[in-house]
Amino acid sequence: MPENPVLIIGGGPAGLEAARGVADLGYPVTLVEKEDRLGGTPIHCDYAALTPNLINAEEAMGAMVKKIENDPLIDIRTSTEIKAASGNAPELQVTLKGQSGEEQLNAGSVIVATGFKHFDPGKETQMYGYYEFDDVITLVDTERMLKAGKFVRPSTGEPPKQVCFIQCVGSRDRQIGNQWCSKVCCGIASKEAIEIRKMIPDCRVFVFYIDMRMYGFWEDEIYWKAQEEYKINFIRGIVTEITRRGDQVVVKGEDTTMGRPLEAPMDVVILSVGMEPSEGTKQMAEMFNLPLESHGYIESIGGALNTVVTPVEGIFVAGAAGGPADLEDSVSMGGAAAMKASAFLRKASLKVAA
Amino acid sequence: MQQASHDQVFTPPSVSSREFKRESFPPTEDYREHLLELEKEGELEVQRVPEPYIEVETKFGRIKKIPEQMTWHHKSCGQCGHIPGYSTAIFWLNRKLGYDYHDPRDQTSCTAWNYYASSTSNAAAQAGIAVRNFSQAKIDGYFPLIHCGTSYGHYKETREQLLHYPKLRRQVRKIMDRLKMPFVFPEEIVHYSEWVHAMRDRIAERQVLDLKDVTVTVHPACHYHKLVVEDAVYDRDLFDGQRTAIISGLVESLGANVGDYSTWHDCCGFGFRHILVSRDFSRSFATKRKIERMKEEVNPDVVLTHDTGCVTTLDKSQFAAQAHKSNVGIPVMSDAQFAALAMGAHPYIVCQLHWHGVDNKPLLEKMGIDHEKAWAEFEAQADRIKSGEIDYISWEEADA
Amino acid sequence: MSIYADAKYKDVPVETKQALFDEVKADMRYEHQLYGCYECGICVAACPSARFYDFSPRVFAQVMAREDVDTFYELLNDRVWDCSQCFSCTRCPRQNNPGGIITIMREVAVNHGLQSAKDALQAYSRIIYKIMSTGTQVAPDMLQPDFFPDWGPDVKQVSDNLDVWRRCVPPETMHTTELAWDVSEKTRLELYMIWKLTGNLEMIEKIDEGIYMILEEVMEELLEENGYDIDDFENLLDEDEDDE
Repeated sequence: MPENPVLIIGGGPAGLEAARGVADLGYPVTLVEKEDRLGGTPIHCDYAALTPNLINAEEAMGAMVKKIENDPLIDIRTSTEIKAASGNAPELQVTLKGQSGEEQLNAGSVIVATGFKHFDPGKETQMYGYYEFDDVITLVDTERMLKAGKFVRPSTGEPPKQVCFIQCVGSRDRQIGNQWCSKVCCGIASKEAIEIRKMIPDCRVFVFYIDMRMYGFWEDEIYWKAQEEYKINFIRGIVTEITRRGDQVVVKGEDTTMGRPLEAPMDVVILSVGMEPSEGTKQMAEMFNLPLESHGYIESIGGALNTVVTPVEGIFVAGAAGGPADLEDSVSMGGAAAMKASAFLRKASLKVAA
Repeated sequence: MQQASHDQVFTPPSVSSREFKRESFPPTEDYREHLLELEKEGELEVQRVPEPYIEVETKFGRIKKIPEQMTWHHKSCGQCGHIPGYSTAIFWLNRKLGYDYHDPRDQTSCTAWNYYASSTSNAAAQAGIAVRNFSQAKIDGYFPLIHCGTSYGHYKETREQLLHYPKLRRQVRKIMDRLKMPFVFPEEIVHYSEWVHAMRDRIAERQVLDLKDVTVTVHPACHYHKLVVEDAVYDRDLFDGQRTAIISGLVESLGANVGDYSTWHDCCGFGFRHILVSRDFSRSFATKRKIERMKEEVNPDVVLTHDTGCVTTLDKSQFAAQAHKSNVGIPVMSDAQFAALAMGAHPYIVCQLHWHGVDNKPLLEKMGIDHEKAWAEFEAQADRIKSGEIDYISWEEADA
Repeated sequence: MSIYADAKYKDVPVETKQALFDEVKADMRYEHQLYGCYECGICVAACPSARFYDFSPRVFAQVMAREDVDTFYELLNDRVWDCSQCFSCTRCPRQNNPGGIITIMREVAVNHGLQSAKDALQAYSRIIYKIMSTGTQVAPDMLQPDFFPDWGPDVKQVSDNLDVWRRCVPPETMHTTELAWDVSEKTRLELYMIWKLTGNLEMIEKIDEGIYMILEEVMEELLEENGYDIDDFENLLDEDEDDE
């Protein structure tokens, strides 16, 4: 008997892993992605290399995409969005809108894998001047430059001599209202710092931080490596202001280890912008009546022991749509969600059969 | 979205193509709503901003109402005491624009000298003093316009405390009952520089001087924009709404130039108690962190600021610093005095520039003002007083 | 006992320190001024006093968040008066207000007549007198060369011409030399009532008995002239026991 497919919303790492998992378990998948390419944020924001092992992002995501292409069980819909949803799983009526117009789909269960969006530095409490100075850029801008193979100082186009990262931009902040830690920026910044030092060996690189969040194997694979092999200067103290002196930007902070105020000119300042719930996450939460937890991400029941099940039956969440997540989290949740979404379909069909 | 590839260098978009789009949900509560709620519950009376008012944007996009006239001028003791041209210029602008205002005798200062400087006060006393002034304004039929940056910041703090602490409201109510006065709080706390900002186009219309060769460095007062950060003027067309637009907006409207410098956000070093009893701190800070940097990086014709303490500190600190061969010597004045001069106000009878420390005659020359003639006119008036012909200069002489 | 080997004030009983600490914590403003501190250093980076004195708002926030009463007592006596009250530290991402906490700490120091508070405010008494007796500060006649020798020759100029130059200032309310503006008697009366009703006058007694006595005389006199008895104005804050 033809089954209603598992509807997976979002074709990033979590969604791709989930699609592979559901199909491997023998159930049909409809994978909906609003952009014209699969791969999620690592592809759309042109990530150069993935944290922590510095594998090429395009290649890695390409490999994940390849694993789900040309599979009769997986129906891939790029440039497609969800317009409306009603009913309850396993009989959800969903309206898709793609390049050829609208269409109805009956979904058996849903996995929301709509990812995150990067924090806009204009909302920051500190005076970072992202909208005032060319040489203040974000992690995303840096990834793009690294992918293109050349890291330059934006205002001159020349390789920089002094670069710094500022951590926790848009995260851990009660005034902005984003009180969470975005989990990945410490790892990403350190990875990018290593990449910059590799590309430009005589460039000094600083990382201004509150805490270096180096979980598990990141500790020696990224943090110790960055300090010991690449002599990256990790300075404990967040910059509060970036101003301009002549043609250079100047950062102002405190080196809390030394207990001294610091002020230094920089060629490039890279803001480690954190995660925020994406527009897609907010929209899907509304569409499927998914409650949001206190930080604004999709709620899952059971906390640490149950990361993918939402309070709405038959609807699951995977990846950063449920809260700050790194690639391991996203892929793992994708797998867990695939298992649970498929199990849900199986139980539903057993009930019908009985 | 731009896709990079290995054969093309990617450069991040320059600032000119970065556009900040503010989200629709400010992270703070709307104090106006809270005030009106308290009014509904009968706890206090909210004095509405009189119409017509001008709407300006604040930090998170909320609109603030700035009254055009019918303002009760909450004077600044430091201004009236040591920089009389500052207060006079504010009044003169109102008069020149034809606006009805009230200059009360029935006004205390915010008494922050007794609070921030010495902490020989408490939250209840400060709130009592604030509400007493506001209630008197309502009784007089005018809406409070605050002259001093500290008074403004302090009253914003007081508002926050009154909104959040029922205990404090109870205490203030008891105090006002004993004083036989109502418990009034204004809908908005408006700083005069916000009024100047709202009026900048009208001021520019009446401008008589050509200021295109004048370069200004702006010093925004800490107490203006760092206390209760959301309630300060921001403009999406000025600094993309990332820095407060105050003063800069006026300078642009007058056709002068704002020079950026690396210590824009720094405090001037006033310190309250420090400016009187530990002056080496204020002086070091004002000269080393502010004036020297401005001189080195911009070499402006004038420093404009909008608070009593800042004008005092930046102006008066420069003299003694010369003994250290510091690179100083920039005249300092308020946005109000600058605007008044632009509209043709007398530099001495109105702007009282002879009370300032750093020599401002080169600036006046650059602005096209004949200061020698003006000083002669001032001395002529002074002579009339010395001879006993008149007791005081009045607005008659000043408005002319 | 302090966790630091080189702690000061070891001879002061911990109950004394704890009581002062509790008083700061009990202030109604405290709960919105001190949350937690993750020592990011933003407050120090923005602080002007941190560049001049051995002063750190971060240390204040940390010590209060840790509830370390020993170090609190050290700060209360040694460093609390260095803060220049600019509130640049309100950039704190945890939404702490070190400047605000310091305001409360200073008030507690004043209320308990700590010697360090008296020392800090010694040169400041005449300012307190002026602001409390007239409701304004910074009078024109304060511009005298021996009080402001470092402000330059314009101070002498003003001082020499004070009377005439003040008469040349157009606003009527400013035709004064002893006060910033002409404060009405009604205003002063109400001001004195507020000082009494909030226990503010009694705070001054703890810091400077001389100034307190003069102030009390001045206030009593004006109140009497207008038919009031100064003793009728009890401290309202004392009787406010119940919390909502």
